[in-house]
Amino acid sequence: MTATADASLPTRTVDVTIDGRPLTVPVGTTIWTAARDAGIDIPVLCHDERMDPVGVCRLCVVEVGGRAYAASCVRPCEDGMEVTTTSDEIERSRATLTELLVADQPAPEADPKQTTTGDNLLLGLAARYDVAAGDLPRGGGRGTDTSNPVIAVDHDACILCDRCVRACDDLQGNDVIGRSGKGYATRISFDLDDPMGASSCVTCGECVASCPTGALTNKPIREIPIRPRAELDAVDSVCPYCGVGCALTYYVDRERGAIAFADGRDQPGSQGRLCVKGRYGWDYAASPQRLTVPLIRRDESYPKGPLSADVRGDARSTDGQQGEGRKRRRPGGLVPYEEVLPHFREATWDEALDLVARRLREVHAERGPDGIAGFGSAKCSNEEAYLFQKLVRTAFTSNNVDHCTRLCHASSVAALFEGIGSGAVSTTYGDVANAEVALITGSNATANHPVASSFFKQARRNGTTLIYVDPRADKLADHADLYCQLKPGTDVAFYNSVMHEIIATGLVDEQYVAGRTSGYDALARTVADYPPERGEQITGVPAGLIRTVAKVWGEAAAGIIFWGMGISQHTTGTDNARCLIALCAITGNVGKPGAGLHPLRGQNNVQGASDSGLIPMFFPDYQSADDAEVVGRFEQAWGSRLPSKRGLTVTEIVHSILDGSPSGGPGVGAMYMMGENPFMSDPDTNMVRTALSALDFLVVQDIFVTETAEFADVILPATSYLEKDGTYTNTDRRVQCGRKALDPPGDAREDWWITQEIARRVGLDWAYESPREVFDEMVGLMPSYRNLDWDVLGSTGKLYPNDDPAHSDGTVVMFDERFNTGDGLAHLVAAEWLPAKELPDDDYPFVLNTGRLLEHWHTGSMTRRSFALDTIAPRAEVYVHPDDARDLGLVDGGMARVSSRRGEIELHVRVSTREARGNVFIPFHFREAAANLLTINEIDPVGKIPEFKFCAVRLVPRDNPSPTGASA
Amino acid sequence: MTDGRRVPGAEARNGRFPGPSLVPALHAIQDRHGWLPREELVALSQDTHRPLYEIQGLVSFYPHFRTEPPPRVSLHVCHDLTCWLRGGDEQIATLRARYGDDADVELREVSCLGRCDTAPAAAVDEQPVQTGVAESLVESARAGQPQEQSRDASPRRWPNDPYGEGDERYQVLRGLLAGVVTPDDLVETLTRSGLRGMGGAGFPTGKKWALVAGQEAGPRYVVCNADESEPGTFKDRQILADQPHLVLEGLLLGMVVVGAEEGWVFSRHEYGPEADVLRAELARLRAEGLLGDDVLGSGRRLSVEVFVSPGGYILGEESALLECMEGHRGEPRNKPPFPGVHGLWGRPTLINSVETFADVPVIATRGARWWKDQGHGDSDGLKFFAVSGHVERPGVYCVPMGTTVRALLDLAGGVSDGRDLGAVQPGGASSNFLGPDGLDARLDFDALAEAGSMLGSGALVVMADGTDLLAAATNTLRFFRDESCGKCVPCRVGSTKAHTLLTTAMAGAGLDDAGRDQVLELERTLRKTSICGLGQVALGPVASVLGLRRGGTAARPQPRD
Repeated sequence: MTATADASLPTRTVDVTIDGRPLTVPVGTTIWTAARDAGIDIPVLCHDERMDPVGVCRLCVVEVGGRAYAASCVRPCEDGMEVTTTSDEIERSRATLTELLVADQPAPEADPKQTTTGDNLLLGLAARYDVAAGDLPRGGGRGTDTSNPVIAVDHDACILCDRCVRACDDLQGNDVIGRSGKGYATRISFDLDDPMGASSCVTCGECVASCPTGALTNKPIREIPIRPRAELDAVDSVCPYCGVGCALTYYVDRERGAIAFADGRDQPGSQGRLCVKGRYGWDYAASPQRLTVPLIRRDESYPKGPLSADVRGDARSTDGQQGEGRKRRRPGGLVPYEEVLPHFREATWDEALDLVARRLREVHAERGPDGIAGFGSAKCSNEEAYLFQKLVRTAFTSNNVDHCTRLCHASSVAALFEGIGSGAVSTTYGDVANAEVALITGSNATANHPVASSFFKQARRNGTTLIYVDPRADKLADHADLYCQLKPGTDVAFYNSVMHEIIATGLVDEQYVAGRTSGYDALARTVADYPPERGEQITGVPAGLIRTVAKVWGEAAAGIIFWGMGISQHTTGTDNARCLIALCAITGNVGKPGAGLHPLRGQNNVQGASDSGLIPMFFPDYQSADDAEVVGRFEQAWGSRLPSKRGLTVTEIVHSILDGSPSGGPGVGAMYMMGENPFMSDPDTNMVRTALSALDFLVVQDIFVTETAEFADVILPATSYLEKDGTYTNTDRRVQCGRKALDPPGDAREDWWITQEIARRVGLDWAYESPREVFDEMVGLMPSYRNLDWDVLGSTGKLYPNDDPAHSDGTVVMFDERFNTGDGLAHLVAAEWLPAKELPDDDYPFVLNTGRLLEHWHTGSMTRRSFALDTIAPRAEVYVHPDDARDLGLVDGGMARVSSRRGEIELHVRVSTREARGNVFIPFHFREAAANLLTINEIDPVGKIPEFKFCAVRLVPRDNPSPTGASA
Repeated sequence: MTDGRRVPGAEARNGRFPGPSLVPALHAIQDRHGWLPREELVALSQDTHRPLYEIQGLVSFYPHFRTEPPPRVSLHVCHDLTCWLRGGDEQIATLRARYGDDADVELREVSCLGRCDTAPAAAVDEQPVQTGVAESLVESARAGQPQEQSRDASPRRWPNDPYGEGDERYQVLRGLLAGVVTPDDLVETLTRSGLRGMGGAGFPTGKKWALVAGQEAGPRYVVCNADESEPGTFKDRQILADQPHLVLEGLLLGMVVVGAEEGWVFSRHEYGPEADVLRAELARLRAEGLLGDDVLGSGRRLSVEVFVSPGGYILGEESALLECMEGHRGEPRNKPPFPGVHGLWGRPTLINSVETFADVPVIATRGARWWKDQGHGDSDGLKFFAVSGHVERPGVYCVPMGTTVRALLDLAGGVSDGRDLGAVQPGGASSNFLGPDGLDARLDFDALAEAGSMLGSGALVVMADGTDLLAAATNTLRFFRDESCGKCVPCRVGSTKAHTLLTTAMAGAGLDDAGRDQVLELERTLRKTSICGLGQVALGPVASVLGLRRGGTAARPQPRD
């Protein structure tokens, strides 16, 4: 992807002679690059091509005719320049420099790098120049820093090459590491020379990955020693966490059957970067709590209900008032196996699978198609999602399949389908580099899409103007040129106001609007009622700032919008997304480089699971489930009769269990749960508990005992991501292969295998031998995936659509000529602002916002079993503005009780300047303080997505409830 | 939003932190508290959305910043070459015995204070003072009654001043603004005069002005480098004190010629009294309408301010100076690009030293020929020298360029106490030592280079016979080690290792041949591979002494910046 501005200019060149070889190179090419391209090797220590050069180690010096040598990594070639890269004198200088650096280094046998990955670049040079410590006076004694749980710092091994400094700020934009001190006393340091573990370091490990010596190294995790790469098995895979889908390589110790460490791997999107979850969060799979055999609920454990005190909801009763037997939850917050497992007995796969098949068939027979539902998972592969929905649709003639997309971007997807005819992103996150303006809204991207956010921060550094619109002033606010801290739930008013100003100041792209959109007049009429002053009144964002945003956005040659759950998880989620689509469209910002719409996908495979048909209204590739022609096509392809109406969504299925089918018949009575944990992820936990208890039959297929599994009749042990092959589609539409790194524990089996076994037992004649076969079948039914096959995906995957995957990475910018709608136009849909459903009042005066932390993933079942992630972020906290904390008598680190009309939790207080007054934030990963006990079960009418981002709560100090506080 | 990468060769760190310099904010905090409390630094980071590490980088780099509460009295004593020659070590030992355990007094050995004419030099609460009288100042400061140092109130007159008593000053500037003289004329005159940069590098001044003036349109800046800090060097201090009008006129002429609206005098931290003189002169200029938004109705905006260095010799290196002004750690940039093309905030920037600017008005007034005629023989113009060390009358002398070392030494009263000469450094701490056979060397750029040394910073340091020259050279090495910014490997590590090698050897059996070879190899590596002049010259004096011992004038070519 080249910047359009550069592409149009002819490249000027210079003629240079290197080691007697005449070369012609573009202006600005460094001597080192020119030499490298000509096959001439110049040694370096401080230079890393992903970063801008600094020229500090001086190993790469060359003769250019000056009185001193030039650092070839930073010195550009000049016309007529004669360069000598090697001579006795130059090599002597390099040897002396190496000797100077080696003098203070730890001995090779004690070097933190040489004794682990064994690839210390400095020691490599020392061998090349045959120098060793000892000839020069030894210095050092600068100390070590082991305060970070997974990264060790040895200052004596540091050569101050500034690679870590640049990795931290230029690549990751985390801005933690710098040089401290002066002269020989200079050290790398974190923040204000704080211990690494106490600093603002987010443990992305980019510094470790870039360090050429033993100064920054990984510590062993779970006592798996880090050994030289050559002794380990390198498995090229993809990160299992978020939708950014970073390419990585796991280094597997076959002797120990475990991963020793992970490295980022180059791929056009992630470019080798990783965040803390990807680099350090893979050890969950090695947890001793993994399920290894099928389990069947004991007869005496009926009638069904929750088994642990937490899930029952009675563990949290006030201390001291309930007698001695009341057990307070221990720290750690995972399902207490000792409370749950006694209610289950081990079984063989045959017994368990037969039971599942029999009960599903029985309930289907009793209740009909409406009685069966399945929740798949956006953590499973495309192939598994495809087989899961195919099973429910063909075996039970039901479209009741859904997954957690319902809880994240369903409203965005609804608006996108309505507006541009496609739910996928119109361009990649990397395209931000070509944007003049990037608007990021409702997205705490540094926590939720850390590697994508590194590209936003990097683009800003290179000149892109960053506008951040979010009620929480999280880290992106620090990087933004314009930050708008709007009141929660006022997004529609904000964007209507911005569009009002764009129209009023004549910044509309008239030609684009006329040629490529419909509905502009109605939109203009609606936003006419939102002058910036009214916008300010509703949103709290100053009218002047709204005008500036409109001007900056409207005048930009290319503007791109990224958004997250802050847009979608509202009862107005679809309207919010409609506004963003309209904002892009009226300024001509879809269909060209550096412009477009990008809803940042949450789960690693939420795009792929939706693509594969794991949603109640669509067959694979968004082919409508209530379109007779589509149904006919799939009936033919699958050789089975299919339902003719849409199925129920996640939230509707829960209602159906309790209240019966919306069509009047019996509701859902049996569920197949593959990797989903609705007890924790769905709104209004108390209602979910009642619903799960009411099911006739529940089979849960997972890698751990989840809260949801407490309600199960049968629990099937699945493989983790690391133990199977499959394809995954990231937020960019990049389809990539995840590869098996480890053998599954005990008798755990791949999800696709389990689904197939159930299918066979309910009468389907499936005989897939591998995910690859499944993929081939899917691609045949999914026009968007055409031309893709397992082999062509290779190690970096491919973007879809892709006309020539053998030679092309795929389509970055979509809709350059027409949209995917019937008439090819973007349909602008006006929206009026509506307040959230439960506004704060005297009883519940605060607005609760929920979301995620950098270190944790969703319900925590993976990340809370990761040593690194659990150590860094071990506990639930409610984030409160300092002034609110003071007024409420809450202290940082103390306990608070937070309650809503639906429930109450207790957790630690974090006083945070990132919250606005009157708003509090709680991450939802922590079952011991489950945020969803508080959230409201109100949904967006179109996307059916719950309003996780807004409900009213009150807070009191737990240990010293204030009589003057809001509590009655 | 700076994108340093658009200029080939500009480094990543160059312009790394967009936004204004945090140095003024740090100064403000330190003024308020006397030091920099952590909470204030955290608040600064939050308020400005700038990373903590950026603040740490600055606070730990510049000696002026303190991260703990200040002592009741601070006593700084210089331990560099001239003070060392004048019995500094003994004085320090005396003071240490007296104040070493005194909780009220923080005694610190520091680099050259630029008061070598009154060596050994000290500073009490940043007030310059002779070490001999430091104790009385410390005691009055301890008692809360700081003594005011009396200053010589009457500026001396120097031959480079075209203005007589009672003349209207700034006539050249007025003429230029009125169009009587054109910028091209002035550049032409400077070029013909042969004026070269007096900061040490000797770059032809007319050529530099023309180069900056010829850059593509857009803002450009002018900086007067008043950060001379090399041991033995204090001539610019005298010029600032006596001729602020010439320095500022030269600076303003430079601004008009290159088309700059903003200019600065970058003044070393230890020149507080001289900075006050400059500020008074700037106030006078503002009052006369020679600074402001429309200077003398020319429609031209001219603004000049004094930028006080937060400390460190390295800032005299022009790209480090620019980094400092931008609010970064004062680490020299890889060059090219040079400041004339890619300077302050990436814009073309004219940088000249105090003496260079101060010479411009007289050249413009009396002409290139006149200037050339001031020099001896083939040499052009006048030259200021700071003379210090073992000499009868240390001080600043303005002599014809091309004057011999012997003549300057005689002017200063000869070697003190009638002793014989051991060696001189003709151009400050970075210049190669010349033995007695170098007395007839002429003080000029090329002549000194031929003689195996350099004109350098215009500082003649005199060492009497019997001085341990290797120890003296090692003293200069310590200065460079202490003042190394630490950016590049050869200077940061090499200067330290060489100093340890030398001091260990001298404390023991002396430097053997293997040690000598090691030092010479390090010298070569530092000279060839260091980023800036500091590292390139750090071991030069030592190598020159090792060469002197073998009968040669110098062991190595003298690098020139």
